[in-house]
Amino acid sequence: MKMPEVAAPEQLPVPQARAGEPAAWDALFRRYQLPLYVYVFELIRHEQAALDLVQETFIAASKHLGSLRQDGKFGGWLFGIAHQKCLQHWRKRTEVLFDEVPEPLDEFEDAPDDLLIRREQEAEFMTLLNQLPLPHRSVLLLHFIEDFSLEEISRITETQLGTVKSRLHYAKKSLRKFLEVKNENPA
Amino acid sequence: MKTPRKLLLAQHRAATPKLDAIRQSTVAAVCDRRSEGVFGVVLRSQTAATMLLQTFWHELILPTRRIWAGFATVWALIFIVNFAQRDNVNNVTGQPVHSSGPVMSLQAQQRWMNELFADRVLPPDADRHRNFTPKPRTQAASAATV
Repeated sequence: MKMPEVAAPEQLPVPQARAGEPAAWDALFRRYQLPLYVYVFELIRHEQAALDLVQETFIAASKHLGSLRQDGKFGGWLFGIAHQKCLQHWRKRTEVLFDEVPEPLDEFEDAPDDLLIRREQEAEFMTLLNQLPLPHRSVLLLHFIEDFSLEEISRITETQLGTVKSRLHYAKKSLRKFLEVKNENPA
Repeated sequence: MKTPRKLLLAQHRAATPKLDAIRQSTVAAVCDRRSEGVFGVVLRSQTAATMLLQTFWHELILPTRRIWAGFATVWALIFIVNFAQRDNVNNVTGQPVHSSGPVMSLQAQQRWMNELFADRVLPPDADRHRNFTPKPRTQAASAATV
């Protein structure tokens, strides 16, 4: 079962997976394995741990698919599991995370593709992404990787909608500033 | 120019072989669980019974194991004493005690008593058969006044 890289929710073989069809599970995992890995890796910055967490996420998803109410929300549900796994990973390492940065803001309607990165900016973009505080990075990654809506990001990260908006605004503002500066003064 | 999504996925595409391996192993595990089928249900119920026994052992027996050991010793002593006494009774009579023995001796005693008092005249009151039916107290009282 082949699936496009960005499959529409109705194309996902969730009912077949629920019926226990291995091909359906394979298709679902194939669709999400790389985006999920990117999300987890960019949060925890450790390859082996990221791979382990992706595997744990897949296993948990295969066990608890019954708890998914809307098949169309499979992607958000899967990222929600991965997010929880990351939180558990951090708790084990007793790292402080997701501190609140009060950032009050206006409506945010940008699409993730509005931001375009030149070839020479790629490395710096990745560096800057990693310098963002974890909560902002998490929201920004979910927005970039899967283009989740603010409501979905709010559900995945179990954060209030207003907080998600402000975090996303803050993160995108930082990136834009960086890109604008670079465009004005190309090295 | 790349979108952030394309850039991020491209940066990590090297991990795809490892992710493929993870995916395949997880799908294999899903297949195993599926083939487990009915046996899985039996296994789960057995596991539940084992869990229950373990809980019983850990919660009820282990914390008070000295008390249980004391009880067990007392019960063993009682059993041993009881068994020993039964052996002694058998040894005294020399043969097992039958339940018909006392009955027969009682019957013989009764026969002997009958023979002894056969010619004796009983007082007339003793012969009279009394029919006494209890009545409610109110009726008994009214009968007394009349």
